[in-house]
Amino acid sequence: MQSSKVMTSKEAVSKFIQDGMTVFVGGFFHAISYGITHEIIRQGKKHLTICQSSFNEHADQLIGSGCVDRVISSYVGMEIFGYLSCWRRAMEKGIPHPIEVEDYSNFSMTARFLAGALGIPYIPVNSLKGTDMMTHSRWMGENKVKLMEDPFGSGASHALVPALKPEVGYFHAQRADREGNVQMWGILGDAPWSLRACEKVIVSVEEVVSREDIGKDPNRTILPAYKVVAVVEEPFGAHPKNTQGYYDVDRDFIYEYVRASKNPDTWKAFMDEWVYGVSDRVEYIEKYIRKFGYRRFAKLKARNMRSESVNYGY
Amino acid sequence: MNDMDFTLQELMVVASSREIKDGEKVIVGTGLPLLGAMLAQKTHAPDMVMIYESGTIEARPLIMPLSVADSRLIPGAAMQGGLIEGLGMVHAGDVDVGFLGGAQVDKYGNLNSHCIGDFDHPSVRFAGSGGANDIASGCKRTVIIMPHLKEKFVEKVDFLTTPGYLSGMDSREKLRFPGKGPAVLVSTLGIFRFHKVTKEMYLESYHPGVTVEKIKENTGWDLKVAGDVKETEHPTAEEIRIVRDLDPTGMFLKKK
Repeated sequence: MQSSKVMTSKEAVSKFIQDGMTVFVGGFFHAISYGITHEIIRQGKKHLTICQSSFNEHADQLIGSGCVDRVISSYVGMEIFGYLSCWRRAMEKGIPHPIEVEDYSNFSMTARFLAGALGIPYIPVNSLKGTDMMTHSRWMGENKVKLMEDPFGSGASHALVPALKPEVGYFHAQRADREGNVQMWGILGDAPWSLRACEKVIVSVEEVVSREDIGKDPNRTILPAYKVVAVVEEPFGAHPKNTQGYYDVDRDFIYEYVRASKNPDTWKAFMDEWVYGVSDRVEYIEKYIRKFGYRRFAKLKARNMRSESVNYGY
Repeated sequence: MNDMDFTLQELMVVASSREIKDGEKVIVGTGLPLLGAMLAQKTHAPDMVMIYESGTIEARPLIMPLSVADSRLIPGAAMQGGLIEGLGMVHAGDVDVGFLGGAQVDKYGNLNSHCIGDFDHPSVRFAGSGGANDIASGCKRTVIIMPHLKEKFVEKVDFLTTPGYLSGMDSREKLRFPGKGPAVLVSTLGIFRFHKVTKEMYLESYHPGVTVEKIKENTGWDLKVAGDVKETEHPTAEEIRIVRDLDPTGMFLKKK
């Protein structure tokens, strides 16, 4: 039996995320690891390049906190909730410092991870052609994307995008065993390819389960243990986002962040309260219940809509 | 209900629903396009298949989803994959209709979702493409939905995020995308199509209470107008009833 990789988010972040690294930040609107994101901010990590197909408020908090120099993504926003203020302040006014972005489309980002996961140097996509994303690049220069005619003679040209292999990644999932076999369901986003593209992965989970439980439904495993360097058990770890089968999106809390972040002072007060004012997720939950009451907390809990189990017999 | 008892937003939802044919595979986002697709499913297109870029196929949500990755899309769906499944099907050219929006549109239906002003020093920076570029490149046809303001209907977009017909004529065709480009633009003032040869946008119909003059005034180029331009067909009372049932709290539609 392999040794346990269970540790706290404090230990995982200080051990595996260093200043200047290229970090994959998991979660496509669903199951975003706020626990680890907040720990990165508390530990004051600097000069990170963050990548993800599409980012939400967690990227805004990392950017506003000065942790980020570079972003690789297709989207830094929040759909109908509004726009991200720290992102805009950084891009429009260089506050707290200017950041650089390499812009792709959602699919071409995922394709970059797919190439990384498969160990191929690049991948052709049908997207990007004809647009300003082909001609505008930052630090990647002409290696951001190239147009190439199909060498097999179809006559069509495709945008080639390079494999993306982050030095480390982190994400949130429903459950894992102590060795790091991770199971996830619901919206997967660019996972599992993005995770497999990473050199190593930190996972936070709602529950640590036994290896036997994983083995009862192995089709649901999205990442095998050999990629995983740390398993962090953090229930409610994606709040204010949702985790399928555990809790729903906390819309009121997200709107509160949107309001607070419009002004740098109220943004700082929000971060002081919810990030710097707690030492970990347990304190975060305690604070949440103290402030908003147990009823509001309990209301987020997912209703029971369990799947039928299938027969894996032979 | 009197014949004019609807808002322009409701009219836009109904107009976009009428762009969907029964049996088609449709990729939807949130907001008005989602309402349009759900309306189509409840009226003339019961066998349409709703696909979300996040990999949900044939979603049957009991409650209106608020995001393309809302957990409530999942129970009841035919399939849940990831972006490689959802957007991958678009990328392969399997999906018939996609909905698009943006901060700016030009006369060839090219869209900008990146910035206002110079890309290096933007006065406003938006979220970026997301799946819009992929949908415009891959879907057989697209429906663009836009609020009609002069600063949004521009001669040239500040940044070309999402391809329409590029510089017109056969410039899009030459790049051999799986998708054929925008079929229609539905704005708050009218409905627009694209000329078969030049690919330039023209006004097909103006919404009730709106004049051709007003539309031209709010368009940043010399807009062409169809010879047989007419008023946009009104929604039926039944369509309006369904739309209001779909969004009872006015999450997407401002209350009249």
